[in-house]
Amino acid sequence: MSRRAWLALCSIVVLTIAAIATPPLREYVYFERSLASAEEEAQANAGNWPRLSDSCTNCHGRNGDSVNQAYADLASQPAHYVAAQLHAFAEGRRNSPFMTPLASSLSDAEIQRVSEYFSRQPATDNDAFVPDPVSRARGETLASGCVACHGERLMGDGTRPRLAGQGYDYLIAQMGAFADNTRRDPSGAMNTLAASLSTDDRRALSAYVASYPVMKRDGVR
Amino acid sequence: MTLQTGRSRPPVRGRRDFLKCAVGTSVAMGFLATPSARAFDRAAQTGDEAVLDVAIVGAGLAGLTTARDLHNAGCESFVVLEARDRVGGRTLNHDLGEGRVSEAGGQWIGPGQTAVADLARELQVDTFPTYYAGKTVFLSGRGRLAVDLDGSFGTDERIAAMLSALARGVPSGAPWQAVDAVALDKSSVGDWLAREAIKPEERIGWDITIALSGGTTPARMGLLHFLSMINSANSDYSQLDSIKHSAQETRFVGGSQILSIRMAQQLQANVMLSCPVRRIADWDRDVVTVHTDRGLIRSRQVVMAIHPALCNQIEFSPSLPDKRVELQRRWPAYSPARKTCMVYSKPFWRAKDLNGQILQAGGPVLWAYDNSPPDAGVGVINSFIEQAAVPADIDAAKHVLAAIYAQALGDEALRPLQYQDQDWGRCDPWTLSCVSAIPPGFWTTYGEALRPACGKLIWSGTETADIWAGYMDGAVRAGHRAALQALNALRTAA
Repeated sequence: MSRRAWLALCSIVVLTIAAIATPPLREYVYFERSLASAEEEAQANAGNWPRLSDSCTNCHGRNGDSVNQAYADLASQPAHYVAAQLHAFAEGRRNSPFMTPLASSLSDAEIQRVSEYFSRQPATDNDAFVPDPVSRARGETLASGCVACHGERLMGDGTRPRLAGQGYDYLIAQMGAFADNTRRDPSGAMNTLAASLSTDDRRALSAYVASYPVMKRDGVR
Repeated sequence: MTLQTGRSRPPVRGRRDFLKCAVGTSVAMGFLATPSARAFDRAAQTGDEAVLDVAIVGAGLAGLTTARDLHNAGCESFVVLEARDRVGGRTLNHDLGEGRVSEAGGQWIGPGQTAVADLARELQVDTFPTYYAGKTVFLSGRGRLAVDLDGSFGTDERIAAMLSALARGVPSGAPWQAVDAVALDKSSVGDWLAREAIKPEERIGWDITIALSGGTTPARMGLLHFLSMINSANSDYSQLDSIKHSAQETRFVGGSQILSIRMAQQLQANVMLSCPVRRIADWDRDVVTVHTDRGLIRSRQVVMAIHPALCNQIEFSPSLPDKRVELQRRWPAYSPARKTCMVYSKPFWRAKDLNGQILQAGGPVLWAYDNSPPDAGVGVINSFIEQAAVPADIDAAKHVLAAIYAQALGDEALRPLQYQDQDWGRCDPWTLSCVSAIPPGFWTTYGEALRPACGKLIWSGTETADIWAGYMDGAVRAGHRAALQALNALRTAA
């Protein structure tokens, strides 16, 4: 190789290294990689675009994992539970000005698909919620009645929802709705239980449950 | 605001007299003034003489436009019933201090939105251009890309042209009447885009733009509805979803809520705040009874200037026709935008050739933009965010968003002066939704029940507009049309 060619090659190598070391170009490379890997992951997890489950993201978080205490976590909820709630919204047995029209617009197959999708998503601990220790301790004394239906680890089963790590404000709102019968539990058990608790006790129970660590997929807490 | 004491109101005269009626309900209400018990009692008293010509439900742009038109036509026998303690509906100004505001709700107008532009001129409200000079920043993970899009969102022009061509056949006010409505209504926008084989890297752009304009993701956005929106924009996609020469091009000096505030002040109408309507009886008879939290109102016509999903929360006696009931029950009300406002000492990004716009793949920011006041005396970044991806706690939300803005715009973003946050689905029960995310199949099944009056009930609100439904312009158009309908109904009944 001629001396001139060597110089040209060295210049290209130096310029390339300099460019990669330049923040804008480095950020661009990260940008491209991040977009590509996000699309790859979404496709593997939720199927081809456009994805029905994306429509739930704004209110229920990415993959059903909400960090906003007011919105329900859907990740790792039993598929039967999510499907039962969507059917209840659509048929007027559970009322929400948001969820009723949304559920009404879904076919049975779509309800099944989206319910199974969320049941597959990993739940995460509700680290965004910091409970008042006194309230949480009080809640713990009240929670013994929860495990019979919601499981020892409060992860739910069948048509009973996961409570562990659920949003605190969402839990309080649902307990209130059960207490005043604006939400009906088909068995009536939640209505009876919630109505028997004071407002403070419902808060305490919600604080305990919201801060309860979720069980990871391998069964480890 | 002070409560202005109005002239005493003689009992409303017979409807034959309304066109020459010079006085009528003339209790002058200041904006945000709690109506006096005396004023309400007069409107709510029983007895034949207390029957008003028109009760208007909702003091947003549509309801107040109707009230203003009635007033201008010489009809003073009306009341505007507002559930909130303020006027303006889905427009709301955040007060930034020193006379500056940032809009927490609907805020822009653009080409072809002549009804709201005319109203602003009549109310002596000035406009100014949305700031978009410089580069838009795209974020994904740690990655960042800054591009000058010249006031657009960089949409693929081939796809935009195809959508525009299809939109020409879909009437904005009645999409179900399009020649190929049934076929178009079977698809979502996402299905259609997938058939057109858009590139994988363009999907995220469509996810964000459909979420911002349509209130949902491409999978749940009806193609027929989306085409009707483009039809409103003169069948030119770029006039719907860009900034430059598009529906996000222009802002109001003093914030968009000022239109409603001025109307309420100027009208001196009987605007009843904190007065939710719970039940409407006898809508199929000559005199309708409106049950509110503050008493009964009796009127000859009722203008429903609220969202169809809010109509669904009112009890009607007798029941409404089946198709109308289903339209209200199924009306998509699940797009309650969460809109935030971060204030800085100055719009520091402008000196870096950035326009303040941020589009973030994977959220939580859907779109951030420069919303500084016209004097740029402070710098404002507004953003639409995924509500569940950011804590409800204001301080926590401020820190999350400031960090994202810093990644996009520089470390100055870590030092905001103030932060405001409006989650419209949770701030009160009287909004529910921003735009209407009409799903596939909806218009061709329920569309015909949208506008026909039911007895003495006239359906209004921006959702009923012929052009620019869902926008502020649509609200004003619907308000004008409802006033004409009410006046004509009173005239023919006289």
